[in-house]
Amino acid sequence: MRRALGLSLALTLAAGTAHGQKIGLAVANLQANFFNQIKQAAEAQGELRGVEIITVDAKGDGATQVSQVQDLLTQGIDALIYIPAGAAAATVPVKLARREGIPVVNIDRNAAGAPGDTFIATDSVTSAYQVCRYIIEQAGGEGQMIIVHGQKGTTPEVDRSQGCGEAISQFPGVEVVAEQWSNMWSQDEGFQITQNLLQAHPEVDIIFAQADALALGAAQAVEVANLPQRIWIAGFDGDTAALEALRDGVFDVTATQQTQKMGRMAVDDAIALINGEERAAIQLQDATLTTQDNVQPFIENHP
Amino acid sequence: MASVRKILGWASGSTGPLIGLLLLCLYLSFATDSFLTVRNFLNILDQTTVLGIMAVGMTYVILIGGIDLSVGSVLALSMMVMGFVAKQLGVPLGFAMALGVAAGALCGLVSGTLITYFRVPAFIATLAMMSIARGLASMITDGQQIVGFPLWFNDLAIVRYGGVLTATVAAMIVIFLLGWLFLRFRKEGRMVYAIGGNREVARLAGINVRKATLWIYVTSSALAGVAGIVLAARLDSVQPSSGFTYELDTIACVVLGGTSLTGGSGGIGGTIVGVLIIGVLRNGLNLLGVSPFLQQVVIGVVIALAVAADAFRDKAD
Repeated sequence: MRRALGLSLALTLAAGTAHGQKIGLAVANLQANFFNQIKQAAEAQGELRGVEIITVDAKGDGATQVSQVQDLLTQGIDALIYIPAGAAAATVPVKLARREGIPVVNIDRNAAGAPGDTFIATDSVTSAYQVCRYIIEQAGGEGQMIIVHGQKGTTPEVDRSQGCGEAISQFPGVEVVAEQWSNMWSQDEGFQITQNLLQAHPEVDIIFAQADALALGAAQAVEVANLPQRIWIAGFDGDTAALEALRDGVFDVTATQQTQKMGRMAVDDAIALINGEERAAIQLQDATLTTQDNVQPFIENHP
Repeated sequence: MASVRKILGWASGSTGPLIGLLLLCLYLSFATDSFLTVRNFLNILDQTTVLGIMAVGMTYVILIGGIDLSVGSVLALSMMVMGFVAKQLGVPLGFAMALGVAAGALCGLVSGTLITYFRVPAFIATLAMMSIARGLASMITDGQQIVGFPLWFNDLAIVRYGGVLTATVAAMIVIFLLGWLFLRFRKEGRMVYAIGGNREVARLAGINVRKATLWIYVTSSALAGVAGIVLAARLDSVQPSSGFTYELDTIACVVLGGTSLTGGSGGIGGTIVGVLIIGVLRNGLNLLGVSPFLQQVVIGVVIALAVAADAFRDKAD
């Protein structure tokens, strides 16, 4: 135990205490590349603007996140950047911060009951529409389709389902034969879910996975299944590893979110809110439809 | 010295962990400005309610040489039952809370029966229950969360009566106290140690080992149910993925508090210390601004070192 204490003592000293403003960054789950990119961008921007960013990771657990936000408030943060973990508990951290009069910037997810002062996210509905439209067209405008959803009830899951649904409704020849939900948006879930669905529906031509990790899992499952037909796979997010996989033809299309920009924006907006400025309640960002043809610049320099 | 030993005696057999906890607090008081404040101490109590309540039941289970892997899932099932009956069936929330706890107790009755009458090892019986309860919890709303409880429900976990205790923290303290008193002063409490020490000898001494075992698993699950209600109040919502891997955190607290995994020695006092060590550690690492990845490493190292030190001391005795 003494060694552990010594270790953390050394870290405290090394980190030093920055003077000036402190911003708490409560992340849903750093295992997900999408969130990790936002974290890295936010921390870099904090350094640039001379504010201290204190990051906590809820590892996908709502209860952990409530505790972490309490701890951030104890440390006297001036603003909270908040990426809710899961669908539940999204309201409590915002309420806690409001009690202390601290502004909140939500990223990616926003609770209807207690929205942040501003909400930064990708226009998932439009982007999901584009992605689904693209693979359906590639598949010839018809065929059997399966959907691997993200975590049920979260903002991105709801929006991506809606956007893709709009695309599907324009093609009467497309039949959605199965849908399944993941809990962690993870690759092994994508693999397992797709494998099971392909077992039940071996005629599938089109797969929409609502995150790149799920899509990479789906691509593995397709490879293992070794079916005769060409299966088109779409993802979402533009994760760094996924973009390379996209270049190598592992799957077909994704929507690259502006994660770096969102991380920077969140810090800038947090500082603006601390200084009493206003920000729009909802700030939707575009995502870029990304295929093998236009992926290279994003691999070199993620937006 | 004798009086110091007497003061430490309440946490019988857990002086090592207690000293560790005090050192940890001492260090954090100097390393951060915000640790040694009343407000932060109350936060830590808030943050440990769920773990603390489950750890009481787990202490009993581990004392008789058992294990309960189902508590995290039972917690989720209880909160979903409560949420469903209250919101979908319109039952008054107070009554729905009781039904949630009852659903938890029922899970314990099933795994306890498997263990005592069908001779399924506790590890397997509760592993099975872990899977069943999680599945049932998800089936209730097809994986969806339920929100929109009355205002007073969230207040149970937020409003500090007299500026000190939330209702949920008060519940945890009452459960700690009852668990400790029962183990210390009731005949049945002493039986728990006898069973953990040697099942066969306990049976020959006239203890109804089966009945006692069954009740302990029912208690553990019912407390997981209570923890589920407390968590629901804290989150102001219920969702079936709650409490994932909490069984492991709970077991870690109990073992950190000096209760032996082989049964027969330990107690609630130690468990309280164990719960506080985990609570203070998580809180302190956040306050220190330690990176999230390193936090996991530090917590793992502390658990390993604490238990190794304890085993080393036992050997020296």
